[in-house]
Amino acid sequence: MTSDVPLLSIADLHAGYDGVDVLHAVSLSMAAGEFVCVIGANTAGKSTLLRTVSGLVSARGSIRFEGQELVGRPAHRIPGLGIAHVPEGRHVFPDMSVDENVMLGAFSVRDAADLGRRREHVLEMFPRLRERLGQAAGTLSGGEQQMVAIGRALMLAPRLLLLDEPSHGLAPKVVDELHDTFLAISRSGTGILLVEQNTALALSVASRGYVLESGRIVLEGTSAELSGNDAVRSAYLGL
Amino acid sequence: MNRSTLLRGLGLAVLLAVAVATPFLLDPRGYAIRVVCLALLFAAMAQCWNIVAGLANQVSLGHAAFFGIGAYTSTLLLIHFGLSPWLGMLVGAVLGGIAAFLISLPTMRLKGHYFALATLAFGEVMRVIANSWSGLTGGPVGISVPFAPPSFAMMQFKETRPYYWLMLAALVVVTLVFVAIRRSKLGYRLRAIKENADAAEVIGVDTTRTKITAAVISGMLTACLGTLYAQFQFFFDPDTVFGVASISVRMAMIAIVGGIGTAAGPILGAFFVIPLEEFANDLFSSRAAGLSQLVFGVLLIGVILIEPRGFMALGSRIRRLFGKGGRP
Ligand SMILES: Nc1ncnc2c1ncn2[C@@H]1O[C@H](COP(=O)(O)OP(=O)(O)OP(=O)(O)O)[C@@H](O)[C@H]1O
Ligand SMILES: [Mg+2]
Repeated sequence: MTSDVPLLSIADLHAGYDGVDVLHAVSLSMAAGEFVCVIGANTAGKSTLLRTVSGLVSARGSIRFEGQELVGRPAHRIPGLGIAHVPEGRHVFPDMSVDENVMLGAFSVRDAADLGRRREHVLEMFPRLRERLGQAAGTLSGGEQQMVAIGRALMLAPRLLLLDEPSHGLAPKVVDELHDTFLAISRSGTGILLVEQNTALALSVASRGYVLESGRIVLEGTSAELSGNDAVRSAYLGL
Repeated sequence: MNRSTLLRGLGLAVLLAVAVATPFLLDPRGYAIRVVCLALLFAAMAQCWNIVAGLANQVSLGHAAFFGIGAYTSTLLLIHFGLSPWLGMLVGAVLGGIAAFLISLPTMRLKGHYFALATLAFGEVMRVIANSWSGLTGGPVGISVPFAPPSFAMMQFKETRPYYWLMLAALVVVTLVFVAIRRSKLGYRLRAIKENADAAEVIGVDTTRTKITAAVISGMLTACLGTLYAQFQFFFDPDTVFGVASISVRMAMIAIVGGIGTAAGPILGAFFVIPLEEFANDLFSSRAAGLSQLVFGVLLIGVILIEPRGFMALGSRIRRLFGKGGRP
């Protein structure tokens, strides 16, 4: 695989629900290992964008992952390609234990030794989960549930991690922890596409960003450029 | 093996031994043993239903379709070809599995009430077909299992006891299948779908295929039980084996009353519902035929209102009350 093939390349993407488009001609590209964010207000279509990449929403246009077309593929075939999705909200399996939740992330991985290694890696990243392996995931705090969801996604050893508003509803201290976690994941070489309403957080961790407004990409640039952009500052950073 | 699993295993073994020995305490030609036979059979049926409803949260109201297919398949093969009901049961299982597959294709994407209604309609279609296709089924007048000299091979017995053991064996087998599925990868997938379908999909669970697999297993087992029912009752008609109230809803009710999604739930439920039903029938049948159903319905509603997750949840609630700390 040559490095000039983008990790993810979205072109002229239209997608929506029940015949009504939410995304209009979206184009976006990221390189292997890159950390990119998409910022935007409520109902801009951020979650829809990630759900479309994951195959949960049907689409027109093109989504290429390492050169392979994703549009038209059923959702359950996407993770196997190396894409893990941490959905919006507390999407853990509430009645299952933390360990079961985490292990389920890689239920398609056959090699047992590999599984053990990945689990160890996840538990090193989230030591707090190790203390609660047997606890039902539904009884964890919000931040811990988010760790479970992220840990579950990491079990796939993805090359692209889709994160949907991971900071939503979490205490500032927990958000700080997540911040460090994202940087650690990124340093390990995993490409991250982060969607956030918390613009300050998103721009502090990602190296590049896109601004999504009513389903259209209206701006893109490095995080520094976006942070310095007057429109972004007034609309999204409240400055 | 730790102490609690050992105790549990021991308890189960004792329970099974008692269950096997029970017929010796009952009048072999009496009424009680027949009620217990039916309770065992319905427990097994509710356990089949539990595979789709309890594990995948797909509440079917059409399981009578598979049950009726099993009853008619083995009986017709016995009448026309003298085929042993054991083999007829296997053929019925295959047909039940095919029916489950076919009904699953269009309904699997439906959720909640829509799925329930679609499966209900499917069961009703099967009932109407069985009633109108008289040339094959004998129509509304029903069909009799031809008498054969009693033998295991023909699944016919002089006494009720062998039927009892047959039903007990069926219940044990179906329950083991349920437990095995719950512990398998398929079980994890089903639970994942039940708890959060989208999250399941994004970790790579093929939700449609998983649900269809469970439905086919459940349909096949239910069809097998239809054969047992036919051999036990000797006579049945479309309205009974394909009935909404007599089969589909009853299967669901029993599992719900006992505790949906648990292995013991359908068993507790059946041993509550079936005797209660018989008792209510007995009590009121001479005075007002419909009244027994009403009383029965009211009682069930009462149970469900008190504890929607059934006796199993009620049990752990009581244990907690006495400070023994049952699992929540
Ligand atoms: N399952 C659905 N069916 C129909 N419409 C939907 C569905 N999910 C989202 N929408 C609509 O699509 C639009 C975009 O929603 P989306 O969830 O993608 O926004 P978002 O940017 O993620 O918002 P938020 O920041 O609140 O999460 C909204 O108008 C929403 O009402
Ligand atoms: Mg969203």
